[in-house]
Amino acid sequence: MLALGVGSVAPIALAQPRDPAAKSLEGIRAQMEKGQGLYVAGNYAGAAEVFEAGYATYPYSAFLFNAGVCYQKLNDVDRALAKFKDYLRVDPSAPDADKVNARIAALEAAKSAAAAAAVVVPDAGADAGPPQPPKPAVVVPSGDDQNAMKSLVVIETEPDGAPLRIYQRVEAAALPFKLGAVNAGWKDVLATHAPANLTLDVGHYHVVVEKFRDFNASEADMDVSPGHVHQLKANLSQGAFMAFLRVSANVIGAHVWVDDQKKEHSEWGETPHGELIPGGRHNVLVEVPGFEPLLTQVELQHGEQKELDVRLSRVNYGVLRFDSNAPEIKVKVDDQPKGVWRSGEEPLDARIDSGSHKVTVSSDGRKTFEGMVVVPRGQISPVHVKMIPKYPRGPAWTQAIVGAAFLGAAIYVGTESNRLHDQLQADRSAGSLEPGDSRITRGRWFAVGADGGFAIAAVLGGIATYNFIKDPLPPSSVKSDKPLEFDDPMKARPTARLEVRGPKPLPIVERPKSRSLEFGPQATSSGGGLFLGGKF
Amino acid sequence: MRASYCAALLALASTACSWSRFDDVSNNAPVVVLHKPGSMKDGFGQSVTTARNKDQVEVLVGGPLGLSGAAVFQLGLSDQPSTESNDSAYCTGGEPCFLASSLAGFGTATGPDRVRPLCFAVGAGTVGTEGIIVRCSDGSEYPLAMPQDAKEVFDFARQQNQFEDFPLAADGTDNPSVLAATPTGKAAWFYPVGSLKFSELAIPKVLKDDSIGTKLAVVPVGDGRVYAVAAPDAGHVLLWKSDGSATSSYIGCLGGPPHLGRALASGKVTRGDDDADLVVSDDVNVHVLDGRALYNLPATTSTDCSFGALPAGALVNSFGCGSNRSATDCANSGFGAALAVGDLDGDGDGEVIVGAPNMTVREEKRAGAVLVYDVENSADTAFADIRFLSDASEGDVLGTSLTAPHLGTRDVIVAGAPGATKVAIFYCSALLGAGKAGGRCP
Repeated sequence: MLALGVGSVAPIALAQPRDPAAKSLEGIRAQMEKGQGLYVAGNYAGAAEVFEAGYATYPYSAFLFNAGVCYQKLNDVDRALAKFKDYLRVDPSAPDADKVNARIAALEAAKSAAAAAAVVVPDAGADAGPPQPPKPAVVVPSGDDQNAMKSLVVIETEPDGAPLRIYQRVEAAALPFKLGAVNAGWKDVLATHAPANLTLDVGHYHVVVEKFRDFNASEADMDVSPGHVHQLKANLSQGAFMAFLRVSANVIGAHVWVDDQKKEHSEWGETPHGELIPGGRHNVLVEVPGFEPLLTQVELQHGEQKELDVRLSRVNYGVLRFDSNAPEIKVKVDDQPKGVWRSGEEPLDARIDSGSHKVTVSSDGRKTFEGMVVVPRGQISPVHVKMIPKYPRGPAWTQAIVGAAFLGAAIYVGTESNRLHDQLQADRSAGSLEPGDSRITRGRWFAVGADGGFAIAAVLGGIATYNFIKDPLPPSSVKSDKPLEFDDPMKARPTARLEVRGPKPLPIVERPKSRSLEFGPQATSSGGGLFLGGKF
Repeated sequence: MRASYCAALLALASTACSWSRFDDVSNNAPVVVLHKPGSMKDGFGQSVTTARNKDQVEVLVGGPLGLSGAAVFQLGLSDQPSTESNDSAYCTGGEPCFLASSLAGFGTATGPDRVRPLCFAVGAGTVGTEGIIVRCSDGSEYPLAMPQDAKEVFDFARQQNQFEDFPLAADGTDNPSVLAATPTGKAAWFYPVGSLKFSELAIPKVLKDDSIGTKLAVVPVGDGRVYAVAAPDAGHVLLWKSDGSATSSYIGCLGGPPHLGRALASGKVTRGDDDADLVVSDDVNVHVLDGRALYNLPATTSTDCSFGALPAGALVNSFGCGSNRSATDCANSGFGAALAVGDLDGDGDGEVIVGAPNMTVREEKRAGAVLVYDVENSADTAFADIRFLSDASEGDVLGTSLTAPHLGTRDVIVAGAPGATKVAIFYCSALLGAGKAGGRCP
């Protein structure tokens, strides 16, 4: 069974020609659309120049016709006639040859009438100087608008040589074309063989690839817009019409697999991506690191072009990527060890549930950082930990130790003093105390020493406390950079599309067909085989 | 818990802060230590004796024999004595003088020309002539004549430039009879009350031990006296009595316990009579002998030395060493090395004061202690008190010498600790009743 696929893709930037022919077609398209744009804007001279240049580069008759229309708009009858005549000369079998001949005749008639009118013009006066040849007043046929531009339609088949027949809908109320039927309101405008480069008027056409060798006939509708290049390609081996699927997502560069949930083959493409695929029901898996995989189904009719716009949700975890100015740091998140990072190593990645988490970073000789860090969903948050050295406590410790020594000594000698005093008091009570008792002097000095020791210990304790508390250095801190997307081992890092606030879009959106001709990948998921596709 | 620690620390700090409390505790201490004059050698306190005249009480403190003289201190009647000597020229003048191992005090001394208050016989020497030197508080000195044997000993020693001891003893009365001896000359003599002349005691030849006369005591009994001369190496104490005149009669010899007569003292110990008693120590015990009973002994020629010849009741009591938790090691304490009798509680009869210079005090060996016994009668003797220096140190040998000066209403203990170069006055006694203690006592 013979199949014909017609599709359309929108963003031209995403579909680059892959081969010289495609590049040539792209050049034709660019030239054609440029001239069309100037024409619509009223810059007929510029448009004519572009069409002329287009023809010089790509000798397609459509350029000649469109240039003639521009000259006609400029009342440059001679040049308009020349272009129309060149058009017929180059493409004598043009389906609209009759119309062009009529246009030529009308222009020539108008030109003749203008010349006659110039002969009967009265003399303006003897003093008026030498008479000037009168400028002919050409009456240009009206009714040319932006639809007057002709478009180039490229029809190819695989294999070449398939007979083609083009039907134009001439009545707007005509029923859809049905092969083999009378098809009132449709006009058979052309019969040729593929490949064919056709210059067609704006309108609705039906392309029929007639029975060819072992291939069955197939058909497709086609809208020809003004000043465009349309391409149709028929894969005669498919036996069915191809459909066109474009998958886009809120993440550019997400990987798409079609009918390959286990990802056993190469990816179908990266969002946004579109190409011809067989009609029917397809499983589409869209996946990118940092986002939950999305598996959905899409139903495509033969010849249908559909855009699947999916919205990926970020995973509910993120990664904190630690590094530091310290030679080595130990990282805990929610009091759970997450590893050790050393200078010169790759940053330490810690996968953590998204949300706010308590992060503790410690390093020998530096102040421990403890604080809350927000872990983004499905992203990597680089955390640069600035570990501040601990303020040296050596003097404080020295003071504390010396103070403690003084305190201990004071307690000892104070206790001794009390003991001696108690002894002396007991001896006094017993009547044995002599005034020169050495314990009196000793106890007195002990008391003095104890008081001095307590005083010094208090002073040193105070100084030590102050020095323990004093810390002119700031605390350790963290600085989080802008979150990064997860590393994608399959390619360069993807770029998330800017989140748009507002009503959540539907996961699948069918978009209207684009009228612009685009090039894009043309490999099907199934791999080889002949195909015919069209992009508009 | 932490608060309690802090509170304890603060309490400790606050109590330790008041170092002035040591001034409080040491002010008016119950023990007063007499300061050694700079002119005296170490060993100050080797001997002590006292003399009282009306409201003046003096203590004479002797230094090491052969090396130093003696110094006198005025105690007064209150508890604020002068701790500095007012005269340290006793037996240290230009004239030869051998300081005696035991000294004799006179409340009133009848000199060759006049009566002098507060004098002390300090030893043999020369003041114009040879004799027992008496020096008085007015600085005057005079000699008491010595027997020829003593003179010869003195002269020999002086010629040989060697020390010679001439022990002395007085009876403790204001105007005492003095007993003197020369162990080298194996002679003893006494001076009747108010007499400058000696009267020799006839020592039986068989009892002339080399140590005879090293310890002496005079026991006043009424107007009479009992003279006791000890030969501690032989364990004998020879007794004479005199009716107050220059004549005397030998009345016997005490003996038996080893080293009986290591120390002698006299004083009124027993209650019920006004006579003094004799206190004798041996190696282990101290014996109290009733003075009147001794005086009543008849003259004898017996040279048998024992307690057997004593009449019933003459030996009032005998007692041994006592100790407490602070003062220990009685067996090696030298208990009885010095004796004195003093009325420490002011009840009219004296307590026996015993020196134990080698006693261990607060684990300080040979720190020494003074023990007090209240001997009422033969059936009532009590270990009443024990005194030692609060700053006792090893080798102080407190109790080497003892005396008991009378301060108005009571006697106090004055004990020498030559090892520490100290002489301590113990103003307080456990026997003192409430209100009698004075400001120094609790």
